[in-house]
Amino acid sequence: MATRARAYGRDALPKPMRTLDPQSLPQHVDRLYRAAWALCGSREDAEDLVQETFSRVLSKPRVLQGDDELYYLMRVLRNTFLTGRRTASRRPVTAAVLEDVVAADPKPTSRPEQAIEVQELYATIAQLSEDFRLALVAVDVLGLSYREAARALRVREATLTTRLFRARKQVAAQLAPEVEQVRESTREGKTAGGVLSTGGTA
Amino acid sequence: MSQRDPQIDSELSERLRAIDVRAPQELHERIESLVAERAAARRRPAGWRLQIGGAVALAAIVAGLLISLLGGGAASKLTMRETVALTQRPATASAPSENARNGTELAVAVDGVPFPYWDERFGWRSTGSRTDGLDGRQVTTVFYVNRDGQRIGYAIVAGKPAPTIKGGVIEWRSGTPYRLQHAWGNEVVSWQRSGHLCVIAGHGVNPSALLALASWQGHETLSA
Repeated sequence: MATRARAYGRDALPKPMRTLDPQSLPQHVDRLYRAAWALCGSREDAEDLVQETFSRVLSKPRVLQGDDELYYLMRVLRNTFLTGRRTASRRPVTAAVLEDVVAADPKPTSRPEQAIEVQELYATIAQLSEDFRLALVAVDVLGLSYREAARALRVREATLTTRLFRARKQVAAQLAPEVEQVRESTREGKTAGGVLSTGGTA
Repeated sequence: MSQRDPQIDSELSERLRAIDVRAPQELHERIESLVAERAAARRRPAGWRLQIGGAVALAAIVAGLLISLLGGGAASKLTMRETVALTQRPATASAPSENARNGTELAVAVDGVPFPYWDERFGWRSTGSRTDGLDGRQVTTVFYVNRDGQRIGYAIVAGKPAPTIKGGVIEWRSGTPYRLQHAWGNEVVSWQRSGHLCVIAGHGVNPSALLALASWQGHETLSA
């Protein structure tokens, strides 16, 4: 064991195995819901995705390495999301499905201004390609470390970093007007200060 | 490749991480109920759990034999097979009419759970109904026919908790799991409404159409 630790470094030591305690799962519902919303772009689909994810996780006893429940949930969420998309693309679309549209939840958050911002942000993320979307959701929405996110998405850390960078760039570009507005005003403030100071010197 | 902009990274990350939207209360409740259901299932004896599939199949065969031996199954067990069988039997009462106060439901309900009125929207009109007893529970079935002459039965089982159903494929609609099965020559969709088991079954009916009918919430929305 000590030899392995020396050979692979301290982090390479396998974490102890433990059985996932179902009672600990409800604490992750909110975070997973936010991740699902950003993945799907709609609250209704997010609810379905979260419920399906938990249903899968609970279908049999699960053994985890260490304490990384959230990492594990992200992995199942990703698999459920991708499976759902493949199934949906194979399913013949019938006119009747239109009837399934349900009125939007009138009170998604207690703060309406935040609701609009969230809606806009998540809708923008949902337009990204799957790989970029998953990277952004895993790190920025769910709050996983780069390492955990890479493991959950089954990609190398370098790949995840690149995807994340591109995803953020695309989202920022989509939200450009308001982001630019903020940055412009910051720049203007700095420049104005510079001019005054120059003028003073002259 | 363009240069990495740390400002973009941090601004966006901060905005995303600052979002603290909570999941709807109903979703929390559903997950908690899933956890509780799973915990209860794990507390059952292992042998019972392992043999559940075989036991269900055996029960269905035994029930079938009993029904044939008893000539009609007056004291039938509450099984999925029996419930589906009811949806294929003839009506014993006239067609329920449209609810005068709510045009999306019929004037017949089980424990306050109304049957939907589909004629105007989907072209499925109610043609009759029947009420039976299974395992001491009342099962009310309304029959619908569409313009092509296809017939389906919509059964609601009275009493709570709803019997547990297994097998089939689960499709989620607006947070509700719908179980789709092809069984006993019928396409079957089963789910719960307000804690009551509902079953729609029909022979030769497109499962997607059955699912769309089952998951239509027009009557729920209006009556809520």
